[in-house]
Parts: sequence; structure tokens; C-alpha cells
Amino acid sequence: MKSLRQHTSLWLSLGVIVVMGAWPIITGNALSRETMFTVLRSVALASSLNILLGYTGYVSFGHVVFFGLGGYVGFYLIAVQGWSLWAALLAGGVAAGLLAYLVGAAILRLRGAYFALATIGINEAVRAFINNFDPFGGPTGMTLNFKIYKLYGGPGAALQLAFYVMIGLTLAVVLLSYWVRTSKFGLGLLAIREDEDAAEVMGVTAPAAKTWAFVLSAVIPGMIGAIFFFKNGTIEPGLAFPLHTSIEMIVMIMLGGQGTVLGPILGAAGYEALRDYLLVSPVFKNIQLAISGILLLIIVLFIPRGAVGWVRQRYAKVRRWLI
Amino acid sequence: MRRKLYLLLGLLLVASMVLAGCGNKATSTPAANAGGGGKEVTVTIGFTESQTGKYNVDSTAQTQGLKLWMEQINAAGGIKLSDGTVVKFKAVSYDDESKADKVQQLYTRLATEDKADFLISPYSSGLTSAAAVVSEQYGKIMLATGAASDSIFKKGYERVYQLYTPASHYLTGAVDILKANAPDVKKLAFVYENSKFSTAVVTAAKEYAAKQGYDIVLFEGYDKDTTDFGAFINKIQDSGAEAVLGGGHFQDGETFARQIAEKKLPIKFLALLVAPPNPKFAELGDAALGVVGPSQWEAAAAYTPEAAKKAGLTWFGPSSAEFAKAYKEKYNDDAGYHAAGGYAAGVVLQKAIIDADSVDPDKVKAALDKMDILTFFGHIKFDTGDAHGLQIGHEMVYIQWQKEGDKLVKQVVWPKEGATAKLLYPLTH
Repeated sequence: MKSLRQHTSLWLSLGVIVVMGAWPIITGNALSRETMFTVLRSVALASSLNILLGYTGYVSFGHVVFFGLGGYVGFYLIAVQGWSLWAALLAGGVAAGLLAYLVGAAILRLRGAYFALATIGINEAVRAFINNFDPFGGPTGMTLNFKIYKLYGGPGAALQLAFYVMIGLTLAVVLLSYWVRTSKFGLGLLAIREDEDAAEVMGVTAPAAKTWAFVLSAVIPGMIGAIFFFKNGTIEPGLAFPLHTSIEMIVMIMLGGQGTVLGPILGAAGYEALRDYLLVSPVFKNIQLAISGILLLIIVLFIPRGAVGWVRQRYAKVRRWLI
Repeated sequence: MRRKLYLLLGLLLVASMVLAGCGNKATSTPAANAGGGGKEVTVTIGFTESQTGKYNVDSTAQTQGLKLWMEQINAAGGIKLSDGTVVKFKAVSYDDESKADKVQQLYTRLATEDKADFLISPYSSGLTSAAAVVSEQYGKIMLATGAASDSIFKKGYERVYQLYTPASHYLTGAVDILKANAPDVKKLAFVYENSKFSTAVVTAAKEYAAKQGYDIVLFEGYDKDTTDFGAFINKIQDSGAEAVLGGGHFQDGETFARQIAEKKLPIKFLALLVAPPNPKFAELGDAALGVVGPSQWEAAAAYTPEAAKKAGLTWFGPSSAEFAKAYKEKYNDDAGYHAAGGYAAGVVLQKAIIDADSVDPDKVKAALDKMDILTFFGHIKFDTGDAHGLQIGHEMVYIQWQKEGDKLVKQVVWPKEGATAKLLYPLTH
């Protein structure tokens, strides 16, 4: 019982994901599956970024670069080299992690706005590189032959499989996020977030810790990119590196509460649910962007710590287990 | 006060989450409802449009074209089948924001919740490609308009049909124009925007030109935000090219043409993608004179029942002039090829339903496979082999800005059957 209470945040987070994942499977409704696929994708992307943004305090505006690069590597291996989806998924994750490791060593020396600007630069640089990289199709990108879906039981079964993979990746990212948050390594990251110089004085090896946080926050977005574009059936630079997705990831984290495990999950789910509702609502669908903008503005103005942050601040009792 | 505000916000969020989570059943609509007496059937046509984002202008025109067709056909009493059934149409659409993120989700909604009987593609090849995976999965016929990519149709799809001339033939006509009108030209330069569409187009045109014996002296892409073409113009001059082909979209194409004229680049022929057919291109003044551009459709192109008879094809639908007039009356705007493409998607579906004498998807598919007609939009015929659904009948129309007195006017110069004027050659600036 004690251990259950100790890990309340983890059980709560996993519970939310399991319910979201199980709902379309139980009902067998294809639309719910598609909706939840998008929601889980956002949850996983936001939770990944939270490792860097929430725990370490480094704002990355170009985090979508890992999603795009992983997507490209995975897609290329499936569509051109004929690899299986599983190997391509892993390769997508590894490629994203490798990029984070190499880039992180250089740009994590920058702080604040300089780091944020550098991340945008990395995203644009990778996009420009891919745009001129012929094996990946250059500006025209690549398309997946329909017969590849047949290896996985046809397009319907492939879409279903992509959904299962997305549930698995989301659960993995939540476990990773919880582990980081509660480990000694995570404590070091939190110390860096509060005061990097003081953390170093206290014995935290900031450059190494930050680089590993960057790598951990990049691997799963790379794998998500691979599964997303496998399902999408086509990839091109414009679709793979949209800057707005990075910004949406940050908004989701802010909504739910940065630096908490549950926050990005609730933030991403709430944000996606709101956007989905407005997008198809007969009343709002023509002004959906304006309405969601106004709502977000109100929320950010009045609940700046995000939903979980607000609860933690208001109710001292829950602070210990709601992380 | 603040507590009340929080409560209100919380309630709003919860309500929106619950509604979205439940799949928003309130908006779902039945598919083909049998109307009074079982003789009237309403067919639902589903699509996404880019109400926001970078494709907004082109996508809106496409949707307006489609809606105009729907309005006209419904006002005319629908399509009457031989068993007396009257087929009418209604549209269900959502905003895809010009982004791929939600296209598959929205097309799944159209296919399952809204029970759309037929689908129309989103605007652009990238979004269409994502939507096609879903339409194929649910066995829905999707008419792809606003998507010129060839690659979508090499994926083994069975129910996606393209209306536009594919990218591989988009600019090859410019090479034909040169061959027919400028036997002295031997050296070509391709300077194009580094984007999916333009690269696919010029790569195909380059191969075609090389096969025709032309010497490709320059093949170079520029970034989509390029505003200074000085370096490219110098390269063209150094290469000794006599004709330049390329471009990308409106903004860059217009700037490129203006700077070529300003620098008095000694070339004899200039053909650019997308920009020249746009009426705004005339704002360049003399720099627009002589510039050639391919268009999927032009109001002036002479596609008529007589031309159909000559070509041994069946004519179907209104004439270009009738469509252009109706569009102008309804939207107070001149119809461009995006609008014509939207309208043409409706016309093709209408013809397929008439030929199939049914709204059954399999019968309509068979009718589309057999289709070989001439419409106001041009010749429509689909590949039924390996690249199933690829457009193989439709040809680009080439316009050139020429002078009538002091006024710049758009003339159709190719193909010869639809031409309204002879090619102005060579360039005079």
C-alpha cells in the first residue's frame, strides 16, 4: 500500500494512458483510434520534451527535429531498404539520440534564449540538409508502396498496429519520465534547472547530465516519427520538420504543468481534445483557431503553472505524491 | 471572482474533452439517406479544405468550384437514374489547417462517422497522399484534384483518381513549344524552387528535353524564400542558355521574371511554373511580356463539343464559358484552375454515376476506369494499369502574356487545338 502511494503519480499517469489506449480497442471504433493516435502522439512528444524543458529548464524550440529525423530514417529503411517496421523504429530512435548527443555537446553550453535560438537553427539546418539529400528523395520526399502494408495484414491492420506501437511508446516515455524525475540523475537535472552554477558546485556534472537529458528526450520522438510516417504513407521535409509542432509541444507542457510527470500528459490530452472538438464542431469549426487561441491565452494568464502545478500549489497535502 | 473564473474554465475544458472523446456524435450524419418514397438518395461527399494555413487561397478556390457544381446539380433536380431514383448531393468538410497532422484522422471521421459515399482530396500532393491511405482502407473512391504528384499513383491504390495533369507532364509542353517554334534554340537552363512539386516537375521536364536532343547547360534549385536571383541570373548568362524553364510558386516566379527583365538577360524564351497564369502577374508590366506558363485550365482554352467530335471523344458537362460565368456570378471573382479543378471533380463524379447508373462504389469505380471524355477542364482518362488512377488524358494549357494595343493580355499558345494566338518569339526585353 505504501509503495502504491509512493508511486501514485506513476500509476495515475500509466492509468490515464491505458484508458486512452484501451478505449478504441474495446469499442472497435476506427475514429476513436485515429483520435487517440493523435492524442497519444502529443502526450509522448510533450512528455519527452518535458525531460529537457521541465526537469532541466532548457527550452527547445526545435525539438520536432528528432521527430522528423527519426521519421526520415525509419521511412527510408522501410520503404527503400525493405527493413521490418521494428528494426526501422529502433533505427529512428537511435538516429535521433545520436543527433541529440552530437548536437547537445555543442549547444548545451548555451543558456536561455541563446539555446532556444540554436535549437530552431538545428531544425532548419537538418531540414535544409534533407531537402538536398537525394537518398531521402530531396524536396520531393518518399512515398510508401501500398504493398508494404500488406506485409502487416493490409492497410487496416497496419493502422491498428501503428496504434499499438504508439500506446507502447507512450507508456515507455512515461516510465522514462518518471524514472528520471525520481532518480538521482533527475535530481541533478532539477538542480541544474534551479541554478546551474550552484549545481556544479554541489557536484553535478552539468555538461554530461544535460547531454544525457537531451538524448533521453530525443530517442522516443525519433521512434514516434518512424511510426507516424509509416502510418502516414508519405514523408517530405515540409511535413517532417514543422516548427509549429515544437511550439505546440511547449504549450502542452505549460498547460499541464512543467517539471511534473502527469502535467504534460494532461496538458497534451487536454490541448488535443480541445483542438479536436473545435475542429469538427459545427458551431466553432470555421473559427476554431481563434477560439483555441483565446482559451489558451486565458489559461496561461490565470494558471501559469499549468493544471498539475496549480493543484500542487493549492493543496499542500498532494504535493508529496503528485509529481 | 477568480474562483468562479477557474470553475468556468475548468467546466469549458472538461466539456470540450468529453465531447471530443465521444467522437462528437452530434455532428455525425447518415450516408445515403433514402428520401421520400425511397426515390431520392442523398449522396454525401466528404473532404477537407485548408481554411487556414499556406494552402488557404488555392484550397478555398477548389472548394468553391466543387460547391458551385453541387449547387447547380441539386438545383437542376439531381441525377436521374434509369430506375427513377434521383441522386442529390451534400458536402461534409473540415479544416485540415494545411497540415498533415490531422488529415488521416479527419478522413477517417468522414469515412466512418459522416459515412461519406465519395471523397474529394485535400489540396496539395502531400496531404492527398496521407488521405489516400485512409480512403483506400475504407474502399472509398477519392477524386484527387489539386494534387499533381505522380508518386501517389505508383503506390498500388485502386480507388484514387487524379484530375490534374501529373507533375511528370507539367512542363514538358514547354519543350514541345520550343521544338515547334524555336528550332534555333539548343541550350536550356532549368532554375527552379527547391520544393517537392517544382523539383518533380523540372526533373521530368529535364529528362524529356534531354531525350529531345537539347543541351541542359544549367540545372539548379533555389530556396523557397529567395528574393534575390542575381546569382542565378549571372549563372544563366555564363552558361550561355538560350531558354530558361523553371520557377516554383507565385511569389518567387514573379520576382524571378522581374529580375530577368531588369537585368536584360539575353534569353529567347522563358517558361515558369504557377506564376504566369495568375492574373496578378500582369502587374509586372513589360517584364511579363512574352513569359509562358503552364496552367491546368484556362477559360479561353477552346475545349468544345466540336473539338470533342474532332478528337473522337464524348463531350460532357458545361462549356468553359458557362462555368466561368457561373463562377463569376456566384463569387464575384474570376475562376482560376484551382476552382475549375474543384468543379471538374464534381463533373467527373456526375458522369461516372450516370454511366454506372448507380451510386454503388464498385459500379462507379468501373465507370471511372472506363472514362474517356472531353470536358470544359480538358480530356479526362485514367490509367488502369500499374499506376492506377493516374491522369493520362489531361494536357496542360500554356499561356503567354502578349500585348493587345497597350494592354497585356493572356493568350493560350499551346496546345495548338486550344490556341488563341501564335507564340510571341523571341523575348523582346
